Amino acid sequence: MSPPLVVERSPSGATTTSGPRRERALSWLLLLPSVAVFALFIFWPLGRTLYLSTHGNDIFGAPGAYVGLDHYADMLSASFAGILATTALFTLISVLPAVLGALLVVLLLESRIRGVRVLRTAFALPFAFSVATASVVFAVIYNPAIGIANGLLGAVGVDRVDWLTDPSIALPAVGAATVWMNLGYNVLVLSAGVAAIPQEVVEAARLDGATGWRLATGITIPLLSPQLFFLVVVSTIHALQSFGQIHILTKGGPDDATSTLVYSIYERAFAYGSSDFGAASAQAVVLLLIMLACTAVQFGILERRVHYR
Amino acid sequence: MRHLRPGRIVVYVVLTLALIPVLFPVYYAFAGSVMGPGDLASYPPALIPSGLHWRNFTDVFTTVPLGRFYLNSAVQAGVITLAQVVTSILAAYAFAFLRMPARAATFALFLATLMVPWETIIIPNYLAISDWGLTRGGLTYLGLVLPFLASAFGTFLLRQAFLQFPTELRDAAVIDGCGHWRLLWRVIVPLSKPSIAAVGVYVFLSAWNQYFWPLILIRDTEYQTLQIGISQLNDAEAAQPGLILAGVALSLLPTLAVVIFGQRYIVRGLTAGALR
Amino acid sequence: MAHSRLRRTSRAVVALLTATALVSGCGSGSDDGGSSDALDAPGAEVLDGSKTTVEFWHAMKGANAAAVDKLVADFNAANGGKVEVKAVYQGNYDETIAKYKASVQQKNTPALIQVYDIGTRFMVDSKQVVPMHRFIEKDGFPLADIEPNIASYYSIDGKLWSMPFNTSTPLLYLNKEAFESAGLDPTKPPKTLTEIGELARKLTVKDASGKTTRYGFGAAIYGWLLEQLLATDGKEYCDNGNGRQKLASRVQFDQPAAVQVAQWWADLVKNGYATNTGRKTDDAQAAFKAGTVAMHLESTSVLRGYVDAAAGKFTVLTAPYPKISDASTGGPIIGGASLWINGVGHSAAEKRAAWEFVKFAAGATPQAQWHTGTGYVPINVKAMEQIDKAWTAKYPQFRTAVDQLHALPPSVASAGCLLGVMPQARKASEDGLEAAIVGTKPAEQAMKEAAASVTAAIDSYNTSVR
Repeated sequence: MSPPLVVERSPSGATTTSGPRRERALSWLLLLPSVAVFALFIFWPLGRTLYLSTHGNDIFGAPGAYVGLDHYADMLSASFAGILATTALFTLISVLPAVLGALLVVLLLESRIRGVRVLRTAFALPFAFSVATASVVFAVIYNPAIGIANGLLGAVGVDRVDWLTDPSIALPAVGAATVWMNLGYNVLVLSAGVAAIPQEVVEAARLDGATGWRLATGITIPLLSPQLFFLVVVSTIHALQSFGQIHILTKGGPDDATSTLVYSIYERAFAYGSSDFGAASAQAVVLLLIMLACTAVQFGILERRVHYR
Repeated sequence: MRHLRPGRIVVYVVLTLALIPVLFPVYYAFAGSVMGPGDLASYPPALIPSGLHWRNFTDVFTTVPLGRFYLNSAVQAGVITLAQVVTSILAAYAFAFLRMPARAATFALFLATLMVPWETIIIPNYLAISDWGLTRGGLTYLGLVLPFLASAFGTFLLRQAFLQFPTELRDAAVIDGCGHWRLLWRVIVPLSKPSIAAVGVYVFLSAWNQYFWPLILIRDTEYQTLQIGISQLNDAEAAQPGLILAGVALSLLPTLAVVIFGQRYIVRGLTAGALR
Repeated sequence: MAHSRLRRTSRAVVALLTATALVSGCGSGSDDGGSSDALDAPGAEVLDGSKTTVEFWHAMKGANAAAVDKLVADFNAANGGKVEVKAVYQGNYDETIAKYKASVQQKNTPALIQVYDIGTRFMVDSKQVVPMHRFIEKDGFPLADIEPNIASYYSIDGKLWSMPFNTSTPLLYLNKEAFESAGLDPTKPPKTLTEIGELARKLTVKDASGKTTRYGFGAAIYGWLLEQLLATDGKEYCDNGNGRQKLASRVQFDQPAAVQVAQWWADLVKNGYATNTGRKTDDAQAAFKAGTVAMHLESTSVLRGYVDAAAGKFTVLTAPYPKISDASTGGPIIGGASLWINGVGHSAAEKRAAWEFVKFAAGATPQAQWHTGTGYVPINVKAMEQIDKAWTAKYPQFRTAVDQLHALPPSVASAGCLLGVMPQARKASEDGLEAAIVGTKPAEQAMKEAAASVTAAIDSYNTSVR
């Protein structure tokens, strides 16, 4: 880095004249690394995505002729509608149970029982798993031939379930794995939220006779609403971007039952010897629009109901 | 000793029931890692290892260069973390303390980067990084980290922290001739260590867990990251779950240690965005 | 003053241009992308200089990767440091070709690459490779040594484009004990899909609670298996003579024979006589190895693994790949992967060195070792003579496979479909099969929609290479 930029005091004491100019230069210097990274790896690529989405490809994936909005028109199909529906459903079934489940766990942990710390750590353990490691473990558990999931069902006399090969079960199965991955994080966030609730508020409520369910609905949950709101926003964004678990567990199958938008982008751009960067980029633009819409909706509707202290 | 009320028993029962599905995959990852083919590759599979099949752990190292994967992930995540922390400190200082033109617009520009999902721009980034030859040999490291050397998330978080400092501190420092550079590194940074650590933990974990980018970028096994290495092990050796789970167990040790022993340190980083 | 400055400037520009030219010249060896020079086959004389290194991208893992490494080590040792092959694993076949595409754009292709059978049309259209027949003609290499059925896949108009490397044929695998306990004779394996269906019913075992403990049939939803069934039925997979007369314009896995396969498979699963383990071949393999499946379709290449895994549990038997009906007269497609030499961007010495390795790898002795090390069928007709009798006795199934392969007359159907987007076509056929098998669509509709879904990709491919 450059030597320290000291705002020198001139004999006349005129820091004000040289100050702002130096300060301006310094602020540009300090912002330069971030701005350079953003320009090169976010803003310019964003323009390129738009460009690619209106162009064809040669057989190596290099951009070809201008095709206008053809790639976008191609998305007006039943199969793409199916991808959007799958994405929405996956988001729903992976976000809600993980947030509500974590809320339940945290509320129970806070009901003045012994061993809270050990229990909380136990519930947080899945957080140690990355998407890849968790998915690999679930791949072994769900294995159609030798997986322990079917082994356990068999032990209690239930017929085997085609966890990842039955189109009506695969999405819930991947969703369950995702809920498991996110639960630990959610528990940690909500626990921190509970810890930040002023003890006197809780004690006052207790003195008023509030216990258990009433304490939770009357005091804890409203005071946790910033954390709950944060979790819903972050989990929704994460769920929309889910990729690793689908790539590892189902590759979008069976019969496209788990083919989400991001997986579809991957498949068109990088899988099965395909390098259809044009069509994939058009889908990437749709992903961007969906994300923007979701963020707007969440901040517009949900934030108004959130109870901030 | 407090009397066990029926309500409390219900709480324990519900928590225990909830714990079973949460802990089972953790248990199975480790139990399975010491199971031999007799336990795993036959039907019905065993729930408890019939013996300690430690060979999985030596075999996994001969099947894939797991140590090398570890090193690669450490380099990748380490460089990204260090760089993001530094670039975020610099930018946050500018936003918090310096008078500059178009500050609101610049700040909005930073905010805008958070709205762009990485998957939307992954294709042009892939094409550019490949074009620059950063997928060959050791240059792969550069390709892995370059797009992630700065983040608006870290900048915002640290700006929030820096804004806690009284403006008088800044004015005093400037007039004393201490200068911005020294103010930043001698005063602000040391006093903001918890927030900086929070950013560092968050950035490190997200970098360590990256999947899509290394998956498409890395050409050479020698530069494979741990996450992709483990998933490729799963693809390549599907018939040997014990071997796969041994790889998983080994790759989990650092993050598991953090969750068990360093929980309170990570909570702050994870929830920094939630607590306003 | 002004004059001299101008002169200095122009001198600097000239120097810069020269430097640029030098740098770009050095960087890519011969920068004549696609011209005839780059795709020529140089003679042995170009190797008289210093050591030449050949980068070799392959997609072999596990025991097969070990066999590749041994092959490469043997070659490097035999060449005394003059030529050194550096084998680099690139992931599976799809990943390898994806990385190859990127390397073409960046102009840093490997000199030698292993590409799966279904990437053949793409490699030809890439205009990057030296056709293998040029080297063969240059050296007078005995082409007759290469199994004609295998060579036909990689030949267009009778000219060999790449050297077959690893070749496998499909087989029907049987669990001997499952047959015996069902009172069936394992020495009389089923010959048609209908027979498999009948036996599957008898071979399916349920326990007292009605839970299935063994399924009669189970195979991965793997497009390759359908391609093989169509070929044994003498049917072409894509139009224009399996894409060998001119570029194929559509795939034909919506024809009645393919729909029949989908329907047959769907019925077996629906009736509970077959298990559906999805598309991952590993999962279907695990089911057979675990003994939960009595009949199974897979390639010869997994036989060794099966025999080893089943040791002490059950006996693995193999039988010829089934036919769609008694009337089927064709044979399976001889697929696998082959070796391609990249010309564009590579020096004459690199091309020649790559060829030296290809020639070595195709030899009888290395092919014999390759065969015993991997289970792939040797591509050299003389290789079988060199194989240890004890090994042949231990794995008699291989001999059968090779003999069968040798006995087949090459045909258009069994030469396989050449299609630029064949990997996507195979994936689409799996979409169709899977939709039929899991019952989300009737078989005919599933296969029709799947076949139609490839047309856009074929069209756009054909437009861009035309």
